[in-house]
Amino acid sequence: MSKNSPDADVTFIAALAELLNKNDLTEIAVKREYGEKDSLDVKVVKKPPQVIQAAPVSYAPAPVAAAAPAAAPAAAAPAAVALPEDPAQHPGAVTSPMVGTVYLAAEPGATPFVTVGSQVAEGQTVLIIEAMKTMNHIPAPRAGTVKRILASDGQAVEYGAPLMIVE
Amino acid sequence: MGLGRHLFETLDSTNAHALRMGVESFPAWVLAHEQSAGRGRRARAWASPRGNFHASLLLAPSEPPATVALRSFAAALALRDAFTSLTETPQAFALKWPNDVLCNGAKIAGILLEANLPCLAIGIGVNLIAAPDPALLDPDALPPTTLLAATGLRVTPETFLDALAPAYDHWERLFQTQGFAPLREAWLQNAAKLNEPIRARTGSQTLHGTFRGLDETGALLLQTAQGLTPIPAAEVFF
Repeated sequence: MSKNSPDADVTFIAALAELLNKNDLTEIAVKREYGEKDSLDVKVVKKPPQVIQAAPVSYAPAPVAAAAPAAAPAAAAPAAVALPEDPAQHPGAVTSPMVGTVYLAAEPGATPFVTVGSQVAEGQTVLIIEAMKTMNHIPAPRAGTVKRILASDGQAVEYGAPLMIVE
Repeated sequence: MGLGRHLFETLDSTNAHALRMGVESFPAWVLAHEQSAGRGRRARAWASPRGNFHASLLLAPSEPPATVALRSFAAALALRDAFTSLTETPQAFALKWPNDVLCNGAKIAGILLEANLPCLAIGIGVNLIAAPDPALLDPDALPPTTLLAATGLRVTPETFLDALAPAYDHWERLFQTQGFAPLREAWLQNAAKLNEPIRARTGSQTLHGTFRGLDETGALLLQTAQGLTPIPAAEVFF
């Protein structure tokens, strides 16, 4: 089946992503029926910073997909398409436990808690997130080196947003 | 909570001390007659002379951070209750998002919560007898006042804590048994400037709009030209 080869699917998903950006949308979910037991479910989601996620894709008559219950098309075989890296999924990611504002230093103009390359101990405060005038110290989840800082001082972040990579 | 009280002549900051005490010491009130490094939001200095009230409640809540932060409203409601029970003039005290208590429209107190989970310190400062020089404050800030100047009432920090501690206990119990809804309702009943224009200064910008209350996560609801915007962190100006 040439029409739903992995390449064609990737092109399709890329087109959806472009549509998402062009129209300033946050989410597109599409199901394509190619025939009996042959469909593609894809969801493209944007959150700050931009993340593209694909739902598992199934191909029939692949044996694994055929074994999956037909009544649950969205929960198909685990043949996920690898797309641009999502920092939130990185094993060393520090993600936001709440909606709020990020502060990289204890006070305006002060030395930041950490910078890229800083060695941190597990539990050490790496940044603060403020919500409801509550200053939440966000700890390093492990000892290691700060590899990336993904949030800027004063930035508003959503729940689960990647803030930092420590490895 | 018939909890411990730790009284000090001087501390750097009651919040800092409470967090240093650590999880094994909760729940406890920490009161200092003076703070050498009293602080407000974004480490702004909080003048802490003898005679004013500076105390922190150390808790060790087990909820997720977004729920822990809702204690901002419990603290504001408790502080308002303490003022009204001491002065018997409830109409003088109104709330400004998220946790300021105003006395006749002036700033009489400040609350800052610091969470280093599992520890949470709820720091409360009250101008009982002294207020900072307005010239030293943000020009957009509300004028400061003191309990003494505004009401003629002179109370000691210990007396103030006697009123505040049970008031907080009430709202904490309500929060734990019924969730945020009753706190939100009580807060809205006493909110200043509801449905009036306000400004919200966030980490990156200042938004102008009409104050429409709070959502169920505690976020400020601001009606702007772009629509109804929930704001989880900002400084509000009237």
